[in-house]
Amino acid sequence: MEYKVEAHRIMSISLGKIYNSRVQRGGIKLHKNLLVSLVLRSARQVYLSDYYSGACLNAQSEREGNEWDITDSEREKFPPSATECDRVESTEEPQPNEQPEKEREYRENDDEVKSDQVDCTSTLQEQNQNSSLDSVAKVSSETPPESITEPKESPSDSAVAERDSTPEANGESHQPPKPHVCSNRKRSAEESESGDSPQKRTKVASSNAKEDEEAEEMDTSNVSNLITIFGSSFSGLLSKESAKPEAEAEDSGQICCDQMLKNLNPWSTAIVAF
Amino acid sequence: MMAGVGGGNDFQWCFSQVKGAIDEDVAEADIISTVEFNYSGELLATGDKGGRVVIFQREQESKNRLLSRGEYNVYSTFQSHEPEFDYLKSLEIEEKINKIRWLPQQNAAHFLLSANDKTIKLWKISERDKRAEGYNLKDEDGRLQDQFRITTLRVPVLMPMDLMVEASPRRIFANAHTYHINSISVNSDYETYLSADDLRINLWHLEITDRSFNIVDIKPANMEELTEVITAAECHPHQCNVFVYSSSKGTIRLCDMRAAALCDRHSKFFEEPEDPSSRSFFSEIISSISDVKFSHSGRYMMTRDYLSVKVWDLNMENRPVETYQVHEYLRSKLCSLYENDCIFDKFECCWNGSDSAIMTGSYNNFFRMFDRNTRRDITLEASRENSKPRAILKPRKVCTGGKRKKDEISVDSLDFNKKILHTAWHPKENVIAVAATNNLYIFQDKMN
Repeated sequence: MEYKVEAHRIMSISLGKIYNSRVQRGGIKLHKNLLVSLVLRSARQVYLSDYYSGACLNAQSEREGNEWDITDSEREKFPPSATECDRVESTEEPQPNEQPEKEREYRENDDEVKSDQVDCTSTLQEQNQNSSLDSVAKVSSETPPESITEPKESPSDSAVAERDSTPEANGESHQPPKPHVCSNRKRSAEESESGDSPQKRTKVASSNAKEDEEAEEMDTSNVSNLITIFGSSFSGLLSKESAKPEAEAEDSGQICCDQMLKNLNPWSTAIVAF
Repeated sequence: MMAGVGGGNDFQWCFSQVKGAIDEDVAEADIISTVEFNYSGELLATGDKGGRVVIFQREQESKNRLLSRGEYNVYSTFQSHEPEFDYLKSLEIEEKINKIRWLPQQNAAHFLLSANDKTIKLWKISERDKRAEGYNLKDEDGRLQDQFRITTLRVPVLMPMDLMVEASPRRIFANAHTYHINSISVNSDYETYLSADDLRINLWHLEITDRSFNIVDIKPANMEELTEVITAAECHPHQCNVFVYSSSKGTIRLCDMRAAALCDRHSKFFEEPEDPSSRSFFSEIISSISDVKFSHSGRYMMTRDYLSVKVWDLNMENRPVETYQVHEYLRSKLCSLYENDCIFDKFECCWNGSDSAIMTGSYNNFFRMFDRNTRRDITLEASRENSKPRAILKPRKVCTGGKRKKDEISVDSLDFNKKILHTAWHPKENVIAVAATNNLYIFQDKMN
């Protein structure tokens, strides 16, 4: 378990570095942030690998038992996509057409889906009701397959993640910190040639989401949330990992990946902004 | 006696000079960010975070001091770059000089290229030691004289004056880099040079500032797919069509400009297979190459990553021919070094004139030299305590565990704020310049 603590610590540090890089003089250093994101990804894989390897089969049954006990706020901290980002192995090309469809499906089925994944994102749905976020969702659908195909893994991972992280999340209710971070991010730090429009959308989204926030500190559960979101970016990095079966997650992963899309946007646009 | 690195068994390094403030409080603007000898070694240029360039010139050898050669004294100081603000992107552009590269001398003036994150400037440094006096139309103050007052005609005479060294910007190469410039390299044709940022490499003509050729572009269509960046680039010393660039993944690509206009496809690809046993969270960071330098012969190149220096034979792509560990004792400290950002430090490396030795910096103001022939290595320290004239530098040793011997330093006592990132070796002699934060140390060999 030590390595998990260590991995988590490294993840927090990495996110702190990325956050701080936005206010550094001279603009964002692309090289450094790329390296930090690599560390973040490695640490996250270690952190979540334990959940996936042992808990895959158990999670399904456990999820139904435990899930309903977890508060909404906790659930939404650990969207099912938590470990999905790890699983992006070889690519993603087979799925390009599915992603936009999944997202549309999600938006249509907002009220219909009954699985716990949707519960996990109940607060996200609140956000999504905001029209500005629709534009953010559009951005996500525009992002190429590589970034979208990540959330294809078993939701059991996230369930396990939630379960294990519950102690940390107890008593806290807050929105995903990502919008907070995004809104604090100095727009001035961007270097992207083409990232202007996504940035604007993100800013609108984040400022609206911010209203819903209660806690603003980067605590551990925030970190986990950020990790899942952030990990979905730099999908090219993830695609180089060893191939793990994606098929097992496909059907249950449909909803997950849609949620992932919602989580994806502010950070993906942040990366794109490089 | 740990001697022999740099040439011969009797070889020893001695302190020669130190430039810079002694004050403990280091002003950030004074931190030296690049050091470079010119082609003859007569001039030594430094750039700092404040955007200034200071050029030192070597004195002619004095008969009085037989044991040391001429000293380097300030020749010219000028403000090369100023902080700028990109209003379109709302970001500040640092004035820090990232690289200085000299041009070969072709006339009495000296030329160098200096680059910050976004702009490269060609500076002309020229001397003026004569002044024309005795103008007909101007008086001594330069004021125009009343023409009716002039009754005689005389020829102005050149009179000696106090030496004045002028630096003037002759070319400004701007607006060609979206990302931060990390390298510039003058081509062996002496007409072109390349500049590299994180994702692109541009080829310039020294006379033309309004356009450049993009010769490498690794920017992915979707930035989310970004996996590596360019970390350094250099032109081959003799073949003007060849250049190399290193990446954050620890690979080096050699490109031939004759093959295509856009050299996205490399001609050679240098990569050493990773040792799976040493994998950690930080494996990728420490494999990122921070510097690449061709040997003077052009047959080899040297790369610096966080823990080691590797020498590659251009004819062998699958592994380096030599690997030198700079500070392997840091491998177990990578997590702390990640926390304090030291793991991102970009160390440079350099060859000596004969390519028989290489040098690179470390922490605690230590720097390391490796003799390629004898395989001996030495660790020296740049500190004011060893700064008596011609004092011989004592080799240093880091204790990695167990009992610490006398004169050894334990890893935990190392000062990671004192880092030597920039070093330079005189092209012909055993004279080295070592930048330690805001101080520039010059060391020479004891012989001669």
